[in-house]
Amino acid sequence: MAITDAGVMYGLLAVGAGLATGLAGIGAGVGEQGIGAAVVGVVAEEPGFLGKGLFLMLLPETLIIFGLAVSLILMFAWSPFAALL
Amino acid sequence: MPVLRLPKFGKPVKYAYITGRVRAMKTKLIPNEMYARMLNMDIPEIARYLEETQYKEEIDALAKDYSGAELIEHATFANLAKTYRKLLEVSIDEPQFLILEYLRRWDVWNIKTILRGKFYGASDSEIMKYIVPAGELDREFLEGLAKKDSINDVIAAFEGTDFAEALSKYDGKSLASVENALDKLYYFRMERAVGGTLSVGGGLLLKYVRREIDIKNLITLFRMNKAGIEASIVQENLIPGGKLGEELSRMAGQPYADFVRGLEGYPFWSAISDVATADLDGVSRIEARLKAYLIRYAWSLSNYHPLSILPVLGYIVTKETEVANIRKIVRGKEAGLPNELIEEQMVVA
Repeated sequence: MAITDAGVMYGLLAVGAGLATGLAGIGAGVGEQGIGAAVVGVVAEEPGFLGKGLFLMLLPETLIIFGLAVSLILMFAWSPFAALL
Repeated sequence: MPVLRLPKFGKPVKYAYITGRVRAMKTKLIPNEMYARMLNMDIPEIARYLEETQYKEEIDALAKDYSGAELIEHATFANLAKTYRKLLEVSIDEPQFLILEYLRRWDVWNIKTILRGKFYGASDSEIMKYIVPAGELDREFLEGLAKKDSINDVIAAFEGTDFAEALSKYDGKSLASVENALDKLYYFRMERAVGGTLSVGGGLLLKYVRREIDIKNLITLFRMNKAGIEASIVQENLIPGGKLGEELSRMAGQPYADFVRGLEGYPFWSAISDVATADLDGVSRIEARLKAYLIRYAWSLSNYHPLSILPVLGYIVTKETEVANIRKIVRGKEAGLPNELIEEQMVVA
């Protein structure tokens, strides 16, 4: 494999990794906006709900971890420069 | 009146805050099982119990001016108005628009109260006792109306507003036609303001309101058919716009037994099937059941549409019922009515 092709491929991998984390982040944000607003509404009436509310708010956050895991796999599972090392 | 044009597709996320908030507020309402215990308390005990609930602030503030049943009556209405105003203050955009449209019923209530007060020659402080400034008309304006000398002065104050036409029906002898016209106006205005917007939230509001109109008409039918009133007069008193409008209008003037039999098979029938017998003396028990059905309907609809105006509506009607129940208990106690009679009138969903 020519070194330039490998470079392009590695670049595309990096874009894919970025998209994986980035889109997961956007998705979690969309999910969280509703939950966050509702939690603030409930906490305004019942301050004791804050702990539970924060937990619920963080649930969509787990999706980002999936995205991040995919990104890490993409970035570190294969490197075109491995042969050079 | 300016009509707010809403986007065609309402975003449910707009409702997240207000629905979260009303669901938390719902948990602070008086639980149903408390009513049975309140029936066994005397009035000062009820006042003390209410001091432990959300009514504390109002009871404390009004305790120096009033006592007994009067204190509770004032405090409950003051709390009702405060709660509804709060709903308007903490919401924005589409939810706020829809809540205000629904709460305009209190404008109608207040105008009716002032007209009735003036009709029977009550003093302005007496009238203000029953005012709930939860709609668009604020307390100062209503106080000004209550201070006016005659009904015609009150009517003149609404010159140029939507209310003018309905109020012009006043003939100097009775308020029935004006009150009827005001009720119809409220629903007509809501249909006009919300119906044209095509928003999802507005559609849900209208869906509930149509059922509410049906239930109101049904109560009218129960009362008037029981009294054997002529069909044309009954039909005049029915509010147009309900989902079952035509079917209910056909039932007007039917003999009571036929009318009750004809109701079988409707969705609300299960709520009243055991009390709606042909030989029932009063319709108050049926009324209470139908109102309870309406509350359950609002909450069950809101299970299908959790992020919509419906939980807010559910809360508004539940709160109104709670205040009505407390007042029924207190007034009944004051008049020395037996507990069973008070219990019959109470709406427990």
